[in-house]
Amino acid sequence: MKNNKGYNLIILFCLCFLAVANVNAQSDWQAPAEENEKLSPFLFDDDMVLEGRVAYENSCTSCHGTPGQDDFTPMSPPPGDPGAEAFQAQSDGSIFYKIKMGRGTMPKFEDAFADDELWNIVAYIRSFNEDYKQELPNMEGVVIPEYAMRLSFDENVDKLVVKIFAEEVPQPEVSVSAYVMGTFGKHLLGKAQTNELGIAYVDVDPTLPGDEEGKINVMVKATKGFARAKLQQDLAMAKPTERHSAIEGRHIWSTDRMAPIWLKITFFVSVFGVWFALLFIVFGLRNIKKAREEA
Amino acid sequence: MNETITKGHFSEEQIDKDLLKNVNWGGKFKLWMGFLTVSLIICLYYYYQQLQNGLGVTGLHDYVSWGIYISNFVFFVATSLIGMLVSSVLGMMKVSWVRPVARIAELVAVAFAMVAGLIIITDMGRPDRLLNVFIHGRVQSPIVWDIAVVVTYVVISALLLYIPMLPDIALCRDKLNNVPKWQQKMYKSLSLGWNSTAKQFRLMNRYTRILLVLIIPIALSIHTVTSWLFAMTLRSGWDSPIFGPYFVSGAFVAGCAAVIIAMFFFRNNYKLKEYITADHFDRMGKLLVLVALVYVYFNINEIIVPGYKANTADAKHVHEMLYGHDSVMFWLVQLGGLVVPFLLILFKPMRKPLPLTIISLVILAGAWFKRVLIVVPTQLAPYYPIQNVPEGWTGYSPTTPEVAITVASFILVLMIITVLAKLFPVVPIWEVKEDMNHKNN
Amino acid sequence: MNMANKNDKSRRSFLQKLGIAGASTVAGSALLLQGCSDSNKASGNKVKVLTADNKLVEVDVAHLKPGDKIQDLSYLQKRGREGIPGKKFVMVVDLAKCKNARKCMKACQSAHQLKPEMHHLNVLEMEDPVKKTSYWMPKTCQHCDNPPCVSVCPVDATFKRQDGIVLIDNERCIGCRFCVAACPYSARTFNWTEPKNSDKMADVTYDMELNVPQKKGTVTKCAFSADQLRHGKLPYCVSACPNGVYYFGDQNEDLVTNGTTKKTVRLSHLLEENAAYTLMPELGTKPSVYYLPPRESEG
Repeated sequence: MKNNKGYNLIILFCLCFLAVANVNAQSDWQAPAEENEKLSPFLFDDDMVLEGRVAYENSCTSCHGTPGQDDFTPMSPPPGDPGAEAFQAQSDGSIFYKIKMGRGTMPKFEDAFADDELWNIVAYIRSFNEDYKQELPNMEGVVIPEYAMRLSFDENVDKLVVKIFAEEVPQPEVSVSAYVMGTFGKHLLGKAQTNELGIAYVDVDPTLPGDEEGKINVMVKATKGFARAKLQQDLAMAKPTERHSAIEGRHIWSTDRMAPIWLKITFFVSVFGVWFALLFIVFGLRNIKKAREEA
Repeated sequence: MNETITKGHFSEEQIDKDLLKNVNWGGKFKLWMGFLTVSLIICLYYYYQQLQNGLGVTGLHDYVSWGIYISNFVFFVATSLIGMLVSSVLGMMKVSWVRPVARIAELVAVAFAMVAGLIIITDMGRPDRLLNVFIHGRVQSPIVWDIAVVVTYVVISALLLYIPMLPDIALCRDKLNNVPKWQQKMYKSLSLGWNSTAKQFRLMNRYTRILLVLIIPIALSIHTVTSWLFAMTLRSGWDSPIFGPYFVSGAFVAGCAAVIIAMFFFRNNYKLKEYITADHFDRMGKLLVLVALVYVYFNINEIIVPGYKANTADAKHVHEMLYGHDSVMFWLVQLGGLVVPFLLILFKPMRKPLPLTIISLVILAGAWFKRVLIVVPTQLAPYYPIQNVPEGWTGYSPTTPEVAITVASFILVLMIITVLAKLFPVVPIWEVKEDMNHKNN
Repeated sequence: MNMANKNDKSRRSFLQKLGIAGASTVAGSALLLQGCSDSNKASGNKVKVLTADNKLVEVDVAHLKPGDKIQDLSYLQKRGREGIPGKKFVMVVDLAKCKNARKCMKACQSAHQLKPEMHHLNVLEMEDPVKKTSYWMPKTCQHCDNPPCVSVCPVDATFKRQDGIVLIDNERCIGCRFCVAACPYSARTFNWTEPKNSDKMADVTYDMELNVPQKKGTVTKCAFSADQLRHGKLPYCVSACPNGVYYFGDQNEDLVTNGTTKKTVRLSHLLEENAAYTLMPELGTKPSVYYLPPRESEG
């Protein structure tokens, strides 16, 4: 009996602890110190806010609601209103990190958004804070190279070849991420780093369907420090696929114009056949009238 | 069967007198028509309500979107099929006893077929867009076939009523001098100058024969296509390849019953006991036995086959019918409305005019509810559960406007039959005379 | 934005040199679906448009913006029947993730002006007869490749488009409800009475891709938010889900995008790895909506 009581106490204690932990989930979540201090290399301007808004509405509103409206979905732990004071008290780096990495029910957006797009969302969230002043990184003395990118496809090994130069000099150790542009989002092909020759290889699934010529719209981003570049182009690296209309051919479900021929013939032949006979009789009634005099 | 069964021998004058007697506008008729008209106006008020407020005034909802309007439509189409059986099939087999009742069967067919077309319009959410069916009609849809066939059937039935009636219209033109002017004029133009010449008879017989042949495929297809409204879907309970013949056999049962009732009514009210005899009732009763037997056979197939296999959805549907929610109605209709009457009319005393008429009334009512059983329960057993909707949507009960509009369709049928039976003789006079002469010679 | 002005100018120009604010990806894809690949070239077809600031203007079809309210019924009707070339839209519903939040139902009903009892999308509680457990199943129109509802329509009011979407033209529907009877998924609903907000919606030009305004006596159902797809946006329900239940995309691209996380994955991989199924495949309707099975352990 005594033993039992002890267990009960322990369970009660645990439950209380869990409850408290739950309530504080939001404030408990701390980004690593290094991430916490991270600053946006971009100036939060109207364009960024606008783009951030689109991304936010597509990906965040369903849980967090509209910032400042306190209409987030009741969940445990509560997702919180990004417009609220407690939320805004976090550093840019902290918000950036949490969106990127996720935790528990908060999805990880690392694969969905590139860094610059994540900063767009931060810019949008910050636009609800009148008192916010963007802290910008100290750039003095930093030389930022301008990258040029060249894309090609090596069909022998099914790899996307990314070459990165800055003023014709190959750039090593540049992080490259390659995406296929879908209708509603971009699909991560893979991430890689350039070698000493400034070349990075990204695996391409040969079964990926392209257009008739096997072309597909790819987007490659390259970053190293503050240097970044982006290139989007059509590349013949996918499986050539013929696209068919979903309504090709004649079916029972087609529109009347595309009805099966046999059905149309059957219908019209029988309807017109019967009505022809009926009209023959109706007009024949005149003959009855004519025949009133015995011949 | 091939003997004529009109009793006794009458002079031609007597026959004319007896059979033309009903062509008048008596007080009884006016009272009856007045009653029908007032009832119809009340019912039309409900239709006006439905036009104003939408189909929401009915008990229909997303899960039972076809209710008693469609059941009633199927019933009407079914009943109208009898015209084909009696006048065409039996007529062409030279079964001469049906000749005095053939016109009654044709009257029933025309009235029910005409009103069936109207019922479909009352079921439409947008009756104002009826013309779309003709502008944008899709040959793949059974509805387009149905409309084409119903219209054709109405026209053929009307012609089949009219053309063999030409000699009788001429008789009305010649003998009825005390009817209103417009009526005399109407007889004159409708009789097409009928003069009983041999050529006129020849032409009339030829056209009638063409119609009699034509009406068989059209009548079969009108009800087969109507059954396709259900059988062409993937719903368990409807998804059945025997629906066509099942419907056709059921149609003959309902039609026979309706004709027997009409025969009884005309016989008593128009004093036609000598022309529509007890023998006619006996034979119509035997015909009813035959068609009911076929129908019972189809019913057994329709339940036993899915019930035996009991695949998930069908088993649920059959179970609901036999033991569940719809079982009371099911057993009442199947036993009370079909099997018991069928057993009763096996006995000769039950085929006397009065008992047979009462049994026919029961059969006809059973036939109507049978159509409800075909249409409604299938929809109440969808493949996916009925959730997040008002509680009432798990069942179906027709509302007052819905019932009133359905009643209106019956009133219309009665009006059409009444008026036609007052304008023209209900028993073909010239055929009776011909028979009589044939017998006398 | 205020704070942008507060920052000093030199810093701004410096930062802009970084090649910032990458070309907008969302707006970029929007243009892809306009039906006119070259957005700068005028097509010569003018339509009447109500702009965001409530002005009625006439613009070229090629210059239409997503926010514009098109006032031209015949243009909308033609566009709605044609569909978007080269696409074949599919949806994947991950039942393991559905927690019955019903945000999708709400978004759907408000977008399509539906009364509370009308569902283009219905989250059902399904019983598992073997395990005696239940799970939540969002059920939309399946946009079948062999659509029984379209087969039976007497007037071509419901039809399938080249991008696989099954739509309803409620300017043509005669209200016979044959399609309602024919659909084995009970996906269709009917305007039995005057629709919601019918007086407010009286002046709105009918867009069959949204099926708004609803009309009394006509059938309505899920349209895969065809109006959204035209602008490269995900359907209303898909982007409203907080739990990552929905994926939506183009089968021709073999890519589907999750509405919550925006993660874009290969459709074929997703279906294969998760043992996806369609509803009642034995009926041969060939649905365009795939389901990933519910979690085994949860009751």
